Amino acid sequence: MAEFSTSIKDQGNINIVYLKGFLDAHTAPSLENTFSGLVDKGRYQIVVNFKDLAYISSAGLGVFMAFIEKIRENNGDIKLSSMSDKVFNIFDLLGFPLLYEIFKTEEEAVKKFNEIK
Amino acid sequence: MIRHISAENLLRNLKVQLLLVFAAVLFILKLFFSPVESFGLILLNEALVISAVAFLLFSINDFISSGKFNLLSLVMNLGILNAIMFFFITFSDSILNLFYSNLGDKIKNPDLIYTIISFFYVSIFVSSLCYIFLTFKQFYFTGHKYERSIYFNTMTIFFLLSVSTAFLDKFPELSYINHTFLIISIILIGINSIRISWIAFLSKKEKLLLLILSVVILTLFILNLIKSGDDTTHYKILNGFSPALNNFLQLMMIYGIGYFSILFFTTLFHIPTAEAYDRKAKEVSSLQYFSRLITQVLDFNDLAETITDIAIKVCNADASWISLKQDGESRIVANKNIGFVDADSITKYILNESKPSLEKLEKTIYQLSPLHDIPQLSEKYSSLTVSILRVHSEIKGYLFAAKKGDSIFDDEDKDALNTFTDYASVAIENAKLLEESIEKQRLEKELDVAREIQKKILPSKNPEYDGLDISSTFIPAFEVGGDYYDFFEITENKLGFVIADVSGKGISAAFIMAEVKGIFESLSQTSLSPKEILINANQILRRTLDRKSFVSAAYGLLDLNEQKLFLARAGHCPILLLRDGVTQDIRPSGLGLGLNYTAYFASTLEEIKLDLKENDVLVLFTDGITEAKNSEKEDFGEMNFEKILIENSHLSAEEISNEVIKGVTLFSQNTTQHDDITLVIFKFKQKFNLFGEKEWQNSVLQSKTRVI
Repeated sequence: MAEFSTSIKDQGNINIVYLKGFLDAHTAPSLENTFSGLVDKGRYQIVVNFKDLAYISSAGLGVFMAFIEKIRENNGDIKLSSMSDKVFNIFDLLGFPLLYEIFKTEEEAVKKFNEIK
Repeated sequence: MIRHISAENLLRNLKVQLLLVFAAVLFILKLFFSPVESFGLILLNEALVISAVAFLLFSINDFISSGKFNLLSLVMNLGILNAIMFFFITFSDSILNLFYSNLGDKIKNPDLIYTIISFFYVSIFVSSLCYIFLTFKQFYFTGHKYERSIYFNTMTIFFLLSVSTAFLDKFPELSYINHTFLIISIILIGINSIRISWIAFLSKKEKLLLLILSVVILTLFILNLIKSGDDTTHYKILNGFSPALNNFLQLMMIYGIGYFSILFFTTLFHIPTAEAYDRKAKEVSSLQYFSRLITQVLDFNDLAETITDIAIKVCNADASWISLKQDGESRIVANKNIGFVDADSITKYILNESKPSLEKLEKTIYQLSPLHDIPQLSEKYSSLTVSILRVHSEIKGYLFAAKKGDSIFDDEDKDALNTFTDYASVAIENAKLLEESIEKQRLEKELDVAREIQKKILPSKNPEYDGLDISSTFIPAFEVGGDYYDFFEITENKLGFVIADVSGKGISAAFIMAEVKGIFESLSQTSLSPKEILINANQILRRTLDRKSFVSAAYGLLDLNEQKLFLARAGHCPILLLRDGVTQDIRPSGLGLGLNYTAYFASTLEEIKLDLKENDVLVLFTDGITEAKNSEKEDFGEMNFEKILIENSHLSAEEISNEVIKGVTLFSQNTTQHDDITLVIFKFKQKFNLFGEKEWQNSVLQSKTRVI
């Protein structure tokens, strides 16, 4: 079975979530837990770094949809960064770039958060 | 069965009746021929007495062997009977004499009174002796029902011989016969008294009680034997009634002395090892517990309950609970005689705060001074021991046992718990494996249902249109992937089609798919605009889709008269147009259904119009094709896909489809298909034209074709 893991880095008010491995219907609950943990703590400024993510399925994409509403209601956002072309293509097909800000690098995403402040 | 029982009852009644008859005859004999002196009468008297005693024995035997008696209570009864006999023997002189002197003056017929009294007196003794004899028999046969009964039977026969020759004492020259039988009887008593293995099965407490009882009873037997030989009123009555009875009394007393002196010493020697024996017995019974564990693996919660139950018994604890590691956290799965909160705080205290090494954990017996260590406990626990549940040296959890009050676990309790824990670990592991396999079966059932739904939802055959070659292929994945495609024959020239992929897998995806079918089926009849249909579909899906779910879809309308394709795409894979040996993505913008329900969805959705010409091939697919994996986990990819399409573009729709599937199958051999594969291909043929007009139109259109 595909392996998947997440790790979180705090950078001021911003939390950077690193994804690694295969994000599919079986591993999606793990990312859900990560997000709900952050949301419960009131951490609404989230950058997701996709650098080490090899694969994302539709169930994996659903995780982002599950939390975005609540996060935006609280003046936060999920910004996506460092996607491989393959992963970006999957996001792109579904029209995610119309819904999420997607950056080339983690730094750009963090910078965007700081600009708003 | 009923007849058998009644026959048995009849036999029982017969014995009692015969007993009464013999007793009555004896009574009459005593009344008229007292004292008995002639040889013939003595013989008759003895025969009657022995017969009566025999039937009394039979009757009491029926009574005793019908019930199950505790051996210790039988010993107790022996003691009581002996005490009664002792009382009568000791005080026979004073009481009976008093009785006679008082009555003798007042009543005309003192002989009758004497006979009645002696009759009753004798009856008491005879009954007691019979009971004692049968109790010994019971002892003898405990543990070995029928084997070696020959010893006992031989002894009984010599008892009988000895008793029936007792009257010969009156004739000194013949008394040696009786004495011989008596001596042989005593030897046999000695042999039979060794059979006392039943005491081994008593617990230590019972053995101590038996030791005290046997001293008292032994003393009574000895006293009774000595006193019965004295020339007292008792002797006169009993011996006068029948020498056989006196002989019987002596034999029983000797038997009692022999048996109880051996019993006393054996018990005495058993006392030091009694505790070890008790422990062994407990180990044996815990083996029975283990077999109970094995039969209970069907339900995990039951098993956990049973384990705590047995743990309490195995190590003499007051409370027990199991803490299992689940998803990296310890969780209490069963608690017996202790509140969940208490169990939880003790567990946390032991495992987290004191952080013992595993070795220490398995060896330590904790002394808890509860008020000091864990203030929030509702009860006071004095001693605690922990065993580690492990399978293949992987730690699965912990089994705790605790004592309340002042008592404390000893090393043996700890060892017993550790041993038991090994078995418990295996049982827990088995239960988990079983649960998992049941869960797996359930999922497989569920997936069967999902596949069945999907099969019914997808079109069973392709529509037939002039000038259009259609092929559709669907290969389900093991876990239903949620692919859906459909055709809507709107008019004879207009064909609507949809391809969609529901997010997620399994039965939930299958249900959404069913709804998506319903939505497109009805919407396709209300509008000709793919964009409008997708916007409406998005609004309708709002009611069913949860936040995590969405549907990628592409809806198109083919107008065969006008040779045009109208298409809108809601997040689905692009549609491929294969024309003149090149493929091109047709990819109008659009969000997946269910990602946004505001006006934004409509504003991002684009509808395009495309002119078609002869031999154009339109390819609709889902990501099951491009994301098909090989054994190196590489994707099949768009490049491979397009290459096959281009190479085979001259073939029919069906043949192109077959080549693609062949390519994907070859690429992903030795791996399992993880997503549904859907491939729908339209190939435009030169439309057969009666008027020749169409052909001209086509050539004009051809120059205008625009590819996006």
